[in-house]
Amino acid sequence: MKRKTAGNIYTVLVFIFLYMPIAVLILFSFNSSSSTGRFDGFSLRWYKELFSDAATLEALKNTLILAVLSAAIATVIGTLAAYGINKIKNKHLKNGITSVTNVPMMNPEIVTGISMMLLFVFVGGLVNSKTVLGFGTVLIAHVTFNLPYVILSVMPKFKQMDKHLPEAALDLGCTPVQSFLKVELPQILPGIISGFIMAFTLSLDDFVISYFTVGSGFETLPIRIYSMTKKRVTPDMYALSTLIFVAILVLLILSNISGDKEKKTLTLKQKKRRKIVLVSTFSVIAAITLGLFIGTSFAEVVTVNVYNWGEYISDGSEDEDGVASVDTNKEFEKYYSEYLSEQYGRKVKVKVNYTTYASNEDLYAKLKAGAGGYDVIIPSDYMIERLIKEELIQPIASREEITNVIKNYDYLLRAPSEGKTLTKEEAEIFQKPFYDNGDDVYSVMYTYGVIGIVYNADHVSEEDIGGWDLLWNEKYSGKILQFNNARDAFGTAMYKLGVNVNDPTAEQWQACLNELIKQKPIVQSYVMDEVFNKMESGEAWIAPYYVGDALSMIYQAEQRGINLDFYYPTDENGETVTNVFADAMCIPVDVSEEQKTHAIAYIDFMLSVDEKYGAPAIANAEYIYYASPNRLVYTNPDYLATLDGDEEIIYEPMSNINELFDKYAYRNLSSQNLSTLNSNWEALKVESSSFNGTIYVISAIIAAAIIGYIVFITVRKRHRRKLYWEQSPTVGTKKSSSDSSADSLSDTVTIAIKRSKSKKD
Amino acid sequence: MNNKKSLLQRAAAAPHIVWSVLFIIAPLIFVIYYAFTDSEGKFTFENIANLSQPSYLEIFLRSVCFAFLATIICLVIAYPIAYFITKASPKTQKILIMLVMLPMWMNFLIRTYSWMALLEDSGIINTVLGFIGLGPIHMINTEGAVILGMVYNFLPYMILPIHSVLSKIDTRLLEAASDLGCNHFQVITKVVFPLSIPGIISGITMVFVPSISTFYISQKLGGGNFDLIGDTIERQFQTAYNYNLGAAMSFILMILIIISMTIMNKYADDDGGVII
Amino acid sequence: MNEKKIIELKSVAKSFDGEIILDNIDLDVYEKEFITLLGPSGCGKTTTLRIIAGFVTPDNGDVMFDGVKINDVPPYKRSVNTVFQKYALFPHLNVYENIAFALRLNKVSEEEIYERVEEMLAMVNLRGFEKRDVNLLSGGQQQRVAIARALINKPRVLLLDEPLGALDLKLRKDMQNELKNIQRRTGITFIYVTHDQEEALSMSDTVVVMANGKIQQIGSPTDIYNEPQNAFVADFIGESNIIDGVMLDDYRVKFSGQEFKCLDKGFAKNEAIDAVIRPEDVDVVEPEKGMLCGIVDSVTFKGVHYEIIVTINNFKWMIQSTDYVAPSQKIGLYIEPDAIHIMKKSEFSDMFGDYSSFSDELEHLSDITEEEEERE
Repeated sequence: MKRKTAGNIYTVLVFIFLYMPIAVLILFSFNSSSSTGRFDGFSLRWYKELFSDAATLEALKNTLILAVLSAAIATVIGTLAAYGINKIKNKHLKNGITSVTNVPMMNPEIVTGISMMLLFVFVGGLVNSKTVLGFGTVLIAHVTFNLPYVILSVMPKFKQMDKHLPEAALDLGCTPVQSFLKVELPQILPGIISGFIMAFTLSLDDFVISYFTVGSGFETLPIRIYSMTKKRVTPDMYALSTLIFVAILVLLILSNISGDKEKKTLTLKQKKRRKIVLVSTFSVIAAITLGLFIGTSFAEVVTVNVYNWGEYISDGSEDEDGVASVDTNKEFEKYYSEYLSEQYGRKVKVKVNYTTYASNEDLYAKLKAGAGGYDVIIPSDYMIERLIKEELIQPIASREEITNVIKNYDYLLRAPSEGKTLTKEEAEIFQKPFYDNGDDVYSVMYTYGVIGIVYNADHVSEEDIGGWDLLWNEKYSGKILQFNNARDAFGTAMYKLGVNVNDPTAEQWQACLNELIKQKPIVQSYVMDEVFNKMESGEAWIAPYYVGDALSMIYQAEQRGINLDFYYPTDENGETVTNVFADAMCIPVDVSEEQKTHAIAYIDFMLSVDEKYGAPAIANAEYIYYASPNRLVYTNPDYLATLDGDEEIIYEPMSNINELFDKYAYRNLSSQNLSTLNSNWEALKVESSSFNGTIYVISAIIAAAIIGYIVFITVRKRHRRKLYWEQSPTVGTKKSSSDSSADSLSDTVTIAIKRSKSKKD
Repeated sequence: MNNKKSLLQRAAAAPHIVWSVLFIIAPLIFVIYYAFTDSEGKFTFENIANLSQPSYLEIFLRSVCFAFLATIICLVIAYPIAYFITKASPKTQKILIMLVMLPMWMNFLIRTYSWMALLEDSGIINTVLGFIGLGPIHMINTEGAVILGMVYNFLPYMILPIHSVLSKIDTRLLEAASDLGCNHFQVITKVVFPLSIPGIISGITMVFVPSISTFYISQKLGGGNFDLIGDTIERQFQTAYNYNLGAAMSFILMILIIISMTIMNKYADDDGGVII
Repeated sequence: MNEKKIIELKSVAKSFDGEIILDNIDLDVYEKEFITLLGPSGCGKTTTLRIIAGFVTPDNGDVMFDGVKINDVPPYKRSVNTVFQKYALFPHLNVYENIAFALRLNKVSEEEIYERVEEMLAMVNLRGFEKRDVNLLSGGQQQRVAIARALINKPRVLLLDEPLGALDLKLRKDMQNELKNIQRRTGITFIYVTHDQEEALSMSDTVVVMANGKIQQIGSPTDIYNEPQNAFVADFIGESNIIDGVMLDDYRVKFSGQEFKCLDKGFAKNEAIDAVIRPEDVDVVEPEKGMLCGIVDSVTFKGVHYEIIVTINNFKWMIQSTDYVAPSQKIGLYIEPDAIHIMKKSEFSDMFGDYSSFSDELEHLSDITEEEEERE
C-alpha cells in the first residue's frame, strides 16, 4: 500500500514537471498585458489579436499545406516502395535499401537539415540560381524525413498479408487490378492511414529541418514561433498554442471514448460511425487545406516579399491603451491593390510577405544560401557596401533616373535647420551616402541611428554610466547583455579601446578579442532581438543597442514598472564614440523585372506620407523610434509632438550627420579583416566562459560507475560461466549477433511506430 | 511472363530508391565534400584540424556530457514512471500514456520558451519562492537549465519505449521469478530490468541523439553561454556563413553518434541479456 | 501411500469481478502424491493451483501447508514451485542460468550450483544444452528446462499448470511417462492441472474433477472412470451414453422403455436417475437377440474399432464395436448388468448424453474457449 502511494506521488510529480510550462503558457494566454512573466489580469485580448494576426494565420496555413502535401507525397512513394521492397528477394539489396531509408530517422535532425541545405545550395550554384531555397526545397526535405515512417508503418502490413489472398481473389474471378483494389488495398489501408497521419504530424511539428531548408516567402508556424521567441513572444502565440492544445485534448478524449466502446462490443453501426467520423475529420482537414491552397494559387495575387529586421515596422499592434498603430504593410496592400487594379483594369490582390532577421550577418548568410525570393531587404550601410561589391543586390535605377522611378525620392533631400544652409553634399547625404554613392542607386534609406547603452536605472548606479566600460563592469556580472553579431560586438570593444573600427591592426584585433573574452564571464547572454524581453522584464540590466529599439524598450518597460534609461557612450574626453548607422531598402539581384516594379512600389510607399494610407513614413517613424531621413517626417510637427522630447536623443546628436558617418560608420571590411573578424567571433563564441568542473566531474563519476558496473557484470558472468562453458559439450549455438542487432533496430522502429500510432489514438 | 511481372512489381520501389539516392545519399556526400574542402573547393583537412582546437574539443566534451547527463536523468525519471504506468489498470494506462504524449504535440520551441518564463531571476519560480521567503535562485543561463530543458523535451521519448517494453513482459515471468524465490525488489532487478533493456536502449537513442545535436535549448535556456555542437553548426550555416566548418562539425557529430550507438548496441547484444 | 497431509484447502472461495471462480473448495493433498485437477476451462482448477502457489489470495477459507496457515505467505517464501503453462522461461537467460536462477538467489557457491544444475539437466535429459538460448529450444526441451528449474530448489510440492498443453501428441505421451518417473524418483508431491482426461487418468494417483468452481469428484482414476458420481463426470471422463431412467427397485432399472438388471442399489423406489453405459460395454447382436433394437445412423472407422451411432427411442447411442455394421441396418444391443452404472440426478443431468449433435467441430469450440481463458 505504501509503495503504491509513493508511486502515485511520484507519478503526479512527473506530470507536474511535464505540464508546468504548458500551464504557464495557457495562463499567460489570458493575460491582459503583453507580459509573459507577470499575470496582470484576465482577458481574451490575445485570442482576439490572434485572429487578426495575418502573419500567424498565414504561417498556420502554410504549415498545414506543407504537412498535407508532404505527407501525401510521402505516402504514395512510401506505399509503392513498401510494396516493391517486399517483392525484392535479394537480401543484401533489401537490407541496403532499408538502411538508407532509415538514415533520416537515425541521423540528428540538424545533420539532415544541413545536408539537404548543402545539396540545394550546390545545385543552386550549378544552375546559377540565387533562389534555390523555397517552398519546393522544404517540401522535398519534409517528404524525405516522412518517407521512413510511412514505409515503416506500411511494410508490416504487406508482410502480414497472406500471400494467397491475391491468388484467392484471382481464383474467384478478380482481374489483377480488382484484386489489388478489393483485396490487397483494404488489408494495407490501416498501415497507409497511420503512415499518413504520422507523416502529417511529424511535418506539422518540424522545426529544425525546415529551418535549414526554407527560403523566403514561406514561413511555417514553428519557424514563425522561432523568430518570435528570438524577440518578444506575443501572447497571441500562447493563445494559438492553447487552442491547439485544447483541440488535441478534445480529439484524444473523443477517440478514447469511442476506443472504449470498441473494446466491449463494436457493433457494425458503431464501426460505421467511427469510420464516418474518421473519414469526415480527414476530409475536413483536406478540404480546408485544399481550399487554402487553391485560394492562394488561383486568384491573381501580387506578392511582395519583404525581409526586414525584427521590430522594424509599424505593425498595427495595440499599445497598452488599446490604440492600434498603423499596419504599414496592410496599408500598402490596400494602396497597391487599388493602384494595380486600376492599371490592369481588373481586381488584383496584393500581399506583403513579411519576414524578419536578427542581424546583417543572418541576412547575408540567407542570401548566400540562395534563400532568396526576397523582393525588398533592409540591410545596414556596411552590409550594403558588401552586397554591392558581391553583386547580391541590383541597382534600383541610375542616379539620373531615380526620381522618375521612386516618386518620393526627393523627400530624402535634407531640410536645412533654421537659419542654416546646407552644402550640396550635406543636403544629399541621405540620397548619396558613403556606402552607395556611385552612378547607380542601389538603396533607399529607411532610417539611421546610433548605438548606445540601455541600462536599468533602478539597479545601475549613476557613477558607473557614461562610457563603454559599463559593459565590462563586474559589479553587474550576469546582468550584462552583448550583441550577438560579430560586427557590433567587436565594435563595442573597439570603441572602448579606441581602435579604428574599419581597419584595425592584427594586434588590435587580438586586443579586442581578449577584451571580449575577458567580458564573456560576466555576460548574461549574447542577444539580438531577445534584448527586448530581457531588458523589459528586468532580467538583464545593461545592454548596448540601437537607439530606436532602446527607446521602444524604455516605453515598454515603463508599462511594467521597470525604469530603463539610455545614453551614448563617450570616451574619457567626454566625446561620444559610438557607431552611427543607416539602414536602407535594397532589391536583391535575382528579383525579376516584374517583381522589381512591385518592390519599387513598396519602397516608394515607405517614403510616402499620404494620409489616405496612414502616412506610412510617419507611422513607421513613430512606431520604431529611429531617425527618419524623410524630410516630410522630421519636419512634421505632429510627429515631433509625439516624440515628446525624445528628439533630443533621436535627432539632435545627428545634426552633423555627414561628419558622423565619416567618423563613426562601419565600412565594409577588407576580405582579410572580414576573415579575421569571423574567426575571432567564432573564437569568442566557442571560448568557454565558465569552466564549470562539476558537470564534467559528475559525468565522469556516472560514466565510471556504469563502466564499473559493466565490468563487474562481465567478470561475474565469466566467473559463472567458467564451470560450464568449457566443460560441457556444445550442442546448440548461440543466437548469431547479426540477428540480434537486426532485432534491436527493428525494436527501435517498432517503438517509433507504436509511439506515433498511439499518438494518433 | 512471371519474371516480367515481378520486375514490374519491384519497380514500384524505384521512385523511392531514386528519391533516397537524390535526397538522402547525395546530401550526406555533400556533407563529406564540404567537410574536406575549403571555401574555394580545394581539398583540405583544415576544417577537421580546426576542430581539434581546445575550444572546440571543449564544445564536443560539453555536448557529450550534457547529452549524457540528460539521458541518464531521463532514464532515472522515466523508468519508475513507466513501471508505475504499467501497473495501472488498462484504462488508466491508456490515459496516462496519452498524458505523456500530449506535450509532444505542442511546439517544442514554445514550451522551451515557457521554461524561460519559469526559470528567470524575475521569473515565476523565483516569484513563488519569494513569497515563501526563499531568496531568488539563479537558474536560467546555467548548465542545469540546459540539461533541464533537454530532460523536459525528451523525457516522453524515454518513457514511451520503456513502457512499451514493460507492458509486453509476460506477467507469468514475474510470477515465475517470485515462485522461484525473488522478492519484489529482486523480481525487478533480475527479471524486469534485464527484459526491458531493448526499451532502455531505444529510449537512450531517442534522447541522446536529439540532446547532443540541439541548439535551440542551449540558446534559450543557456543564454548562448554554453555552446553545443548544434549551436556551432547552426551558427556556421545561419550567420557565420562558413559551410565547410559546419559540415566538418556535422561530419564529426555523425561519427560520434555512430560510434556511441555501435558501442551501445554491441554491448546490449553481447551482455545485455546477462545483466542480473 | 504416505498418509500425511501436506496441503489442505479449507472451504476456499474466490471470485473475480463478482463472478464466482471457486465455490468453497475443500481439498487435501497428501505427501508424495501425484494429484491431478481435471476439468474444463473456467472450472477453477488453475485458480486453485495459483492459490496454492500464492499468486492469488483466497477471499475466504484457509490454505494450510504442513498444518500451518499460509494465506498471507508470499509466493517466494513458500516451499512450492510451479511449472508454468507455456513454461515462462526467462528469455534473457540461457538454459544453465534459467535452471540456476533460484540457487543464485540463495547465494549458493558456484561449484554447488554447477553440480546441482548438471544433476537436474541429467534428470531431464538435457546435458550439453547449457549454453543454449532458451528461445531456440523446441517445446519439449523448454518443458524440461521448466521442470528442472522448478525442481532445483527441491520444493516439497511441485505445481504443474497444463505443462504439456502446447506439445504435440507423441511428445506429450513421452513427457507423461517422464513426469511420472521424475515424480516417483524425487518423491515430491505433484499437483497437476489439465483438461485432458486421458493425461489425468494415466498419470495420477488421485484425480480431482472440477466444474463450475466446485469439486465434482475425488478419487483414483479407476473409480472416476467406473463410478462417476454425476452426469458431468461421466461425460467428461471418456465417452458415455447417459440416459434418463427410473430405479424400479434395488438392482432393477428402467430406461428406453426396457427393464434392465444392474449392480446398483440404495435408491428410492421409482427414483429418477441417470444411467451411464460406456460405448465399449455395449455388444452388437442380431436384432432379435438384442435387449434394445435400433437403426444404424452412421458408422465411422476409428482404427481399432468402429464408432456406430444408433437411434433408439429418439436417443442416439454411441457404440464402439470391432465388427462392421452397415448404415440403415437394424441391429440389436446387448448390455451386461455390470455395464450399467446408476447415478443420482444432478445439476448436470440432461446436459449430456445424446450423440445427436456430436461432431468434431464441437471439440474445436471447446478449444477456442480454452484459449480465451489463457489470455486473461
